[in-house]
Order: sequence, then structure tokens, then C-alpha cells
Amino acid sequence: MKALDLKLLRDLWRIRGQALAIALVVGAATATFVMSLGVYRSLMETRDIYYERNHFADVFSGMTRAPRSIVGRIETIEGVRHAEGRIIQYATLDIPGRVESIRTVINSVGEGGETDLNRLTLVAGRGPRSSAAGEIVIDEAFADANGFAPGDEIDALIYGTRERLTVVGIGLAPDYIYAIAPGELIPDESRFGIFWMGERALEAATNRTEAINFISMTLERGASEAEVIRRLDVILAPFGGTGAYGRDDHPSNAFVDNELMQLDVMTTTIPPVFLIVSTFLVYIVLGRLISTEREQIGLLKAFGYTDGAIAWHYLKFALAISALGILIGWAAGAWMGRGMTALYTEYYRFPFLYYRISPSIFAIAALLAAGSAVLGAMGGVRTVIGLTPAIAMAPPQPPIYKTGFLERVGQKAGFTSIGHMIVRHIGRWPVRSGITVFGVALSLGLLFSTMQFLDGTNEMLEANFFRAQNQDLTVALIEAGNEEVLHNLASIPGVLRVEATRAASARLRNGHRSERVAIESASSNTRLWSRIDASGREIPLPPAGLMLSGQLAAKLDIRAGDRVEVDMLEGRRIRTQIPVVTTISEYIGSRAYADSVTLERLTRDNSPVGSALLRIDPAAREDILDELREMPIVLGVTERRATLDKFREMIDDNMITMIGFYIAFASAIVIGVVYNSARIIFSERARELATLRVLGYHKQEVGLILLGQIALLVALAVPVGCLTGYALGQSLAAAFSSDLFRLPFAPTRGTYGFSIVVVLVAAALTALIVARRVARLDMVRVLKARD
Amino acid sequence: MAETTTNRDRSTAQPAFRATGLRKTYDMGETQVHALRGVDLEIGAGEVLVLLGPSGSGKSTLLNIVGALDRPTAGQLWYEDTELTALNDHALTRFRRAHVGFIFQFYNLIPSLTAEENVRLVTDIATDPMPAAEALELVGLGDRRAHFPAQLSGGEQQRVAVARAIAKRPHVLFCDEPTGALDSKTGIKVLETLANANAELGATLIIITHNAGIAGMADRVFNFLDGRIASIEVNETRIAPSEISW
Ligand SMILES: Nc1ncnc2c1ncn2[C@@H]1O[C@H](COP(=O)(O)OP(=O)(O)OP(=O)(O)O)[C@@H](O)[C@H]1O
Ligand SMILES: [Mg+2]
Repeated sequence: MKALDLKLLRDLWRIRGQALAIALVVGAATATFVMSLGVYRSLMETRDIYYERNHFADVFSGMTRAPRSIVGRIETIEGVRHAEGRIIQYATLDIPGRVESIRTVINSVGEGGETDLNRLTLVAGRGPRSSAAGEIVIDEAFADANGFAPGDEIDALIYGTRERLTVVGIGLAPDYIYAIAPGELIPDESRFGIFWMGERALEAATNRTEAINFISMTLERGASEAEVIRRLDVILAPFGGTGAYGRDDHPSNAFVDNELMQLDVMTTTIPPVFLIVSTFLVYIVLGRLISTEREQIGLLKAFGYTDGAIAWHYLKFALAISALGILIGWAAGAWMGRGMTALYTEYYRFPFLYYRISPSIFAIAALLAAGSAVLGAMGGVRTVIGLTPAIAMAPPQPPIYKTGFLERVGQKAGFTSIGHMIVRHIGRWPVRSGITVFGVALSLGLLFSTMQFLDGTNEMLEANFFRAQNQDLTVALIEAGNEEVLHNLASIPGVLRVEATRAASARLRNGHRSERVAIESASSNTRLWSRIDASGREIPLPPAGLMLSGQLAAKLDIRAGDRVEVDMLEGRRIRTQIPVVTTISEYIGSRAYADSVTLERLTRDNSPVGSALLRIDPAAREDILDELREMPIVLGVTERRATLDKFREMIDDNMITMIGFYIAFASAIVIGVVYNSARIIFSERARELATLRVLGYHKQEVGLILLGQIALLVALAVPVGCLTGYALGQSLAAAFSSDLFRLPFAPTRGTYGFSIVVVLVAAALTALIVARRVARLDMVRVLKARD
Repeated sequence: MAETTTNRDRSTAQPAFRATGLRKTYDMGETQVHALRGVDLEIGAGEVLVLLGPSGSGKSTLLNIVGALDRPTAGQLWYEDTELTALNDHALTRFRRAHVGFIFQFYNLIPSLTAEENVRLVTDIATDPMPAAEALELVGLGDRRAHFPAQLSGGEQQRVAVARAIAKRPHVLFCDEPTGALDSKTGIKVLETLANANAELGATLIIITHNAGIAGMADRVFNFLDGRIASIEVNETRIAPSEISW
């Protein structure tokens, strides 16, 4: 081995602590990159392969009822390749020992479970025979959550009649990757199942011989989806079509897309933070190393080493550190990616999960990490090249200090000599001090901006479940009913209040923009249902015209005061124009509201009850749920409490894991930054600190100089970090928002506090490790060595 | 400077330091370096002592041990009635703080502090110090108080170090080659301030030097050889620093 390389190895070994601290930050950059991009690609590939293999359709539409022959007509639409009709029927289940409402959506399938589109993949048992009454395949998540296996029987209330169903198989399908019951916000596999039943059997059970109520179709390559949807709506209008939609609006697909979008945001925001920090760390550490090795560099040059050879020597130093970081990051990223992917399989139901990180992801991660290290090394390498042998051989002059601005403040504040030492040292190396402040601030910002997601989610829950909803139960009806339903519900013992709400499907248009929505309404004297905007104000329903959520208004490019075209997809299906009176800033979904009179004018029917909101005596909950299960008109019951609990559970599962990762990441940055700054300060000041010891200062007093300086820099970093976190958090929250959710940016003081505490603790522990060196400082040795 | 006592009186007066059998061995793995091989000594209060000897003979090692910067491998050391070799680190620090001043070849000023602040470093923690400005006046640098080390010449820096050492009115001043980096004129100036401190503050003065001429200003001279005091010379009269032939 060449002597110069030996020097490299020894130098690396000598500053191994610092090298490891930097490698940790590089490792975090690599790990987040590998993890998020790896999971992103894996999830996307899994989805694409699943869609491909199981023929996931491109366009979908529901309808009240249409003859099966309509499918042939639809296939003649230009651009439609293949269409397939099915029956989709909601039903409630009666599982012994379970009081809460358990719902299912039953899909019709051909003989043995075969279909052309949205194909079922069986994981156990067999498909249902087409005309065998009661034979069903149930989805895997529901089976697991409730302990069902082939051969088990389940009692169901389908279309008003009680039936005993037999599980013959377990499977899953691409149109239910993310399965949420109507009116719910998140999946709950124990309370909502996806069933598949033979076509003839379901026709018989729902009284729809040779009829369908749902159609899916694939499109030709290059066909216009918007045009197909337009023509489809026209064809299906007489059959009660509820508005066709593409994959973008398909509930399951939209959630998967949303998740992918969020992963993509993570890939582009988090790793760069680490890369920036590692660049700066390499910059200060190599800069310091080179300045202590001026004499050696001069000597090497005097011996005839070229600038290039010496520059390469120091570049290799940076590369060696980043190589270590890359190895750490690869391993950690692959491991965390597996964990993340496992989390996804809990909420996203795939028959297989294709977790594979392609070599190109590893390679790109390594290139980025090495690139940032080289960039950081550039500053030091430039000084190496600039040194002439003569200058390099002359010992450096004592560093020149000045009294600066802080000084004058200090003088007034009565600084001790030690105070002066601290402040002047910071002022003497402003770039390095700045990098320390910036690095710690970034770490705080990163932690804060990820922690605030919890606040945002809580705020969203708070707004949705506590401020806007006052009901205990929401009772969905099989079809829109009238006052009598309300009376029946009100007469159940324990029911304290009943109110009607309704949601009518419509398509809103503004120019070429169009959105399929449900126009929601409640009785005029409602006490259980209110619209609360993001700032917590209650916004009353306008007496005439629509109120749109901010997201919907933006999608339609409509402002309050504009008129919007309404195609009703229910009732008498009228088409009209109506003013948008107000918009409301909300977190969940794109929604439209009208008061009951306005909605009735739009639907022109006489059935104002779509679902009922109930306030109940908690003691009577079980009896009420039993009673509701017996009512044929009831499609399902949603409990506010249960939804909330499920949401909380999901947050605990998901977010806590993520937050654990981010605490680790933020600590990695703090350790990397504080350890390196402290070590550099220590090595620069070792002689001074030893001198103070000689003069009779105690270890603690001398340690204070080191700790005081770090503490001052970290203290400066706290406000900077809060500002950084505020900005980063705000833009992350915005980037994470989609059609489905608008994540509020609503950080609490606790989040500021928690992030600050984590950073301070990490900084304090790291600084203490370095401060221990002060205690071990060998006065005699340090004083003997010339700088 | 009036000589009122003879040198012999001084060396036999109440001793400031007393040591028996001091040894210092550095364990270098395979080999051992015997820096001190058994040193017995007495140093009188107010005495001026010069240590001479070839490089590596153990002068600095002894000075560091007597000055409580380092511990011997074996042997005992007393300062007045205190056994220094029995003290813990904290107590040794207190001892230095209370009684001892140091001056080194390479000044060891804190570059981020001005001349006056460097002196205040000591006066801040001493019990009965002179004002920092006064100490600087004593070394003739009253007008350079606000200057940083980088703005001072080597000799001036060393005089600041002397001011820093005497400002606490120490009982002992340890000087390891205080003029090693200085020319004769500046060196003599520094030695004059040290001699003044001895005369006016009564501080015991222990000076390591390679310059045999300086030995003339001592009461006694210890000649070191190979980790031992090979011989002790007693000067009948001390010469003033200005008369030293460099
Ligand atoms: N930390 C150490 N480790 C190993 N050996 C040491 C150490 N410090 C000093 N020595 C050895 O102890 C011996 C005495 O050293 P010391 O510094 O006391 O000599 P000195 O008389 O002051 O020499 P000089 O005139 O060159 O300053 C030398 O042989 C030296 O190599
Ligand atoms: Mg020496």
C-alpha cells in the first residue's frame, strides 16, 4: 500500500467518531431514499401487475337497474373495448355475538367466480356456482378479521330477505384493493366485507332477473375517457345511471393513487435534507482536517506530489466516509422498506406483494450520497490546491480575533472571560458556526414537519367527528324513504333524536370541467349535522343555491357568485343552472351542499330521507342496533365512536412507526452535526483548554467553554428550526393533500415542544460525550505539542 | 535591588517544596522511558532556582510534577505542610489556582482574548489578585491592554504571559524555557520582570533554560543528567538580568 493511502487509513481511524457521525447522516439520506423510492416502485409495480392480470376496468358506472342487454349497446360506443355488467348489492350481516352493524357488498360473478373484468383471485376454496343459492366467496381481510373459513355459514339480510350464505372460497379483486364502506373514511375489515356470489343466485336474491345495476368497461388504447363517459351517461340516463367515472374517481384506485403520491412527496423532500446536511458536514470536517495538515501538505508538495494527487487523497477521504454511509443506508433502507410495505398490506389488499428494490435505486442512492460528499469536499480541496509549499510550511499565525457586534452586547451584559472566548470563537468561524446552527435547525425542522402530521390528522378528526357531527349513529337506507321511516326510527326505545339527511348524485359542470358529486342536505331544523369550516366557524346552508367545499370549487374553477350547471343523476334527472352561494373550507373530500328545499327542487321527488342521523342513549346501544338490524329498510349503521376508534388505531399503527423512524433520522442529523462541531471546537481549543487547567480552572469550568459554545449554537438553532419546520410542514401538508383529504396544517405547542426536546436531548448527550474528553485532557501533553 | 539576606540563608529557610524519591516512568509498551530516576530536593521559599541540563534529561518532567500538572510514578512531594502526591485532581487544581504561576516557551495565550482579558482569566478566580491593568503595567504593557495576541510580538506575548502569571501574587512561578523563543534583548526584559516578581512579591522562581548565562541570576542551579539531579551549584551572589551574557 502506498504511504499516502496508509495516511488516509490512519487519518480515518483517528477521526473515526466524526467519520461515523457523518456516515450516519449519509446513511439516513440513503435509507430514506431507498425506502421511499423502493416502496413507491414496489407498490406501483404490484398495483400495475395486479390490474393487468386481473383486468381492472377503465370506466365504471352504477345505475338503478338495466337489462343485461344494455352491455352490448355500450360495447358499440367508440373507444370501448369490452364491457361487462354485474349486480352490486349491499347487505347487512348477522354474526352471532356481534352487536355492531356489519355490512357487505355482494358482487355478482359468473360460473365458478369467472369474470372478464375485475377478476377475482381465489386464495382458498373455490368459486361459487352461478345458480347455487347462498354460495359466496369472501374477501381475505374480512375472513381473517372475523375468523371465517370455507364451509362457514353467515346469515345475511339481502334486499329485505334473510338468507343463509355459505363460504365456499376466499379471494380478492383489483377493484377492492382499498375497501371502505359507503359513508366511512377508512377501511374496517372487521365490519365491512366484500362478497362475490353467482350471477343467477344474486339475480334471484335481489329480484333482478337478467338485469344489472353496475357496469365496467375497458377502453381502446387512445380512446377519450371523457367522451366515453359522456356517451355512457346519455345511454344510462333512462336506467337511473348514477354517473360514469374513470379510474381516477374509482374509490379503491383513488386511495392507492393517493398513497403513491404521498410516497413520491417523501422521496423528493426528505432525502435532500439529509444530503444537504452531509455535504456541509464533509465540508467542515475536511476543511478542519486540511487546515491542521497544512504543513504536511506543504511537505508533500515540496517532495513533488502534484496538486491532483493531493486533491485526490482528500477526495478519497470524503468518498470513504460516504461509502460507509451508503452501506448503512442500503441496509437500513431495505429493512425499513420491508416494514413499510408490510404496513401497506394491512390496509391495501393485494394477492401478492412485489417487494423488490431494483439495483438502479441502490445505484442512484449511492450516486447521490457520493455526489454530496464530493461537493462538500470541494471547498477543502480548493484550499489544498491553493497552498504553495512555502506557505504551507510556515506555521499558521495565531487566529485573528476581533471584537464584534455581539461583543458590545456582551460587554454591557458583563461577560466573563469565558463568555468572550465562546462568542469570539463563534465569530471567528462564522461559516462553521452557521452550518452547526443550520444543521441542528434542519433536523428540528424535519422532525417537526413530520410530527405535525399527527396534529393535522387530529385536527381533521376533531373537525369531522366532533364539530361537524353530533349524531351517534348514521343509519343508511336501502332507498330514499319518507317521514314514516323517521317515525319508525324515533319509536325505537332509547333513540333520543332522529334527523333526516340526504345525498343526491349529480354531475356539476363549468365549461369543460365536470365533477360527479353527491349534493348533501339535512332538515332545516337540524341539530346533529353542521358544516364547520377549517377555522371552526359554522357555515349555515344557503337558503337557495349551493355551497361547495373549497376543493370542489377549485376543481370546477368556480367562485362564490358564479353559476354552475347541474345534471341531476337521481329523481327526475333534471338539468338546470344554479348559483354557488358560498364555499366552505373543509378537510375531507370534495363535497356539495344544499338546503333541503333546494335539493328537493332539484330531485323533484318526494322522498327526503336518504339516511337518518340518530342520537341515542348509550345504555340502549345494543338493543337499538339489534332493532335496526331487523329493519328491512336499513342498509347499514355507522357508529361515530367506532369509526373514530378505528381511525385512532390506524394512526397509532402507522404514524407511530413513521414517527419512530423520523425521531431516529432527526437524531442522526443532530448527532452528526453536534458531534463534529464539538470535536472540531475541542481539537482547535485543546491547547487553550489545557492552559486554563494549568491556570487553575477546574474541569467543570473548562468543560463549560465547550458545552457553552455548543449550547449557544443549539439555542440559536431552536428558533431557526421552528421557522424551518413551520415552512417545511406547511408545504408537506399541502403536498400531501389530495382529492380525498386536505391535510390541515395545525401544529400544536406540544409538537413544537416535543421536537425541541428530542433535538435538545440528542444534542446534549452528544455534547456530553465530547465534553468527557475535557476531563481526560492531558495538560502536559497538549502543552508540549505545537499546534 | 537591595540584597538583605545571603543566598545560603534563603536555601535553608522554611522550604516551600520538599520531595523524596520522585520517579517518573513512561510505559511505552515494549520499553519504558525513565524520565525521572529518583529525585530528592528542597526548594526554599523565595528562592530563585535554575534547572540546566541536556535535552531529555527530565527538567520539564520535574517542573510539571512540582507544579502539580502531572503526577510522579513514585515518590512523595510536599508543598509546605501539604503532601501534594496525596491530593486528588480537584485539590491539585485548587492548589494551582491558589499558589502557582506558569510561563511556557510558547506563551500559551488564549488567542481569542485580549491582553487584559488573558490576565483577567487568572484574576477572575484568584483570592487576592492585583488588578489586571496593574499586572500589565508591571510588565510594561499598560498601553497594549486591548490588543489580541495576534497583534503582539513574541516578546510582548511572553510578557503578557508573565503578567498573567504574577497577577494572582503567586507563591511560586514555574518557567519552562521562558526566553527560548526570544532574542537576547527581549529575553532580558522578560527575565527582569520575573526577577522583580521574586523581589517584590517574594515569589519562588523556578526556571528551566538551555542558556547557561541565565544561571547567574539564580540562588542555586540544579544540573540534570539522565533523570537525576547530577549536581547543585550555589551562587554566592546573584547577578541582575541586565548583566547576563546571552
Ligand atoms: N509523554 C511522554 N511519553 C513518553 N516519554 C516521555 C513523555 N514525556 C517525556 N518523555 C520522555 O521523558 C524524558 C524527559 O523528558 P523531559 O521533557 O522532561 O526532558 P527535558 O529535560 O525537558 O528536555 P528538553 O530540554 O528537550 O525540553 C525524555 O526522554 C522524553 O522522551
Ligand atoms: Mg523541556
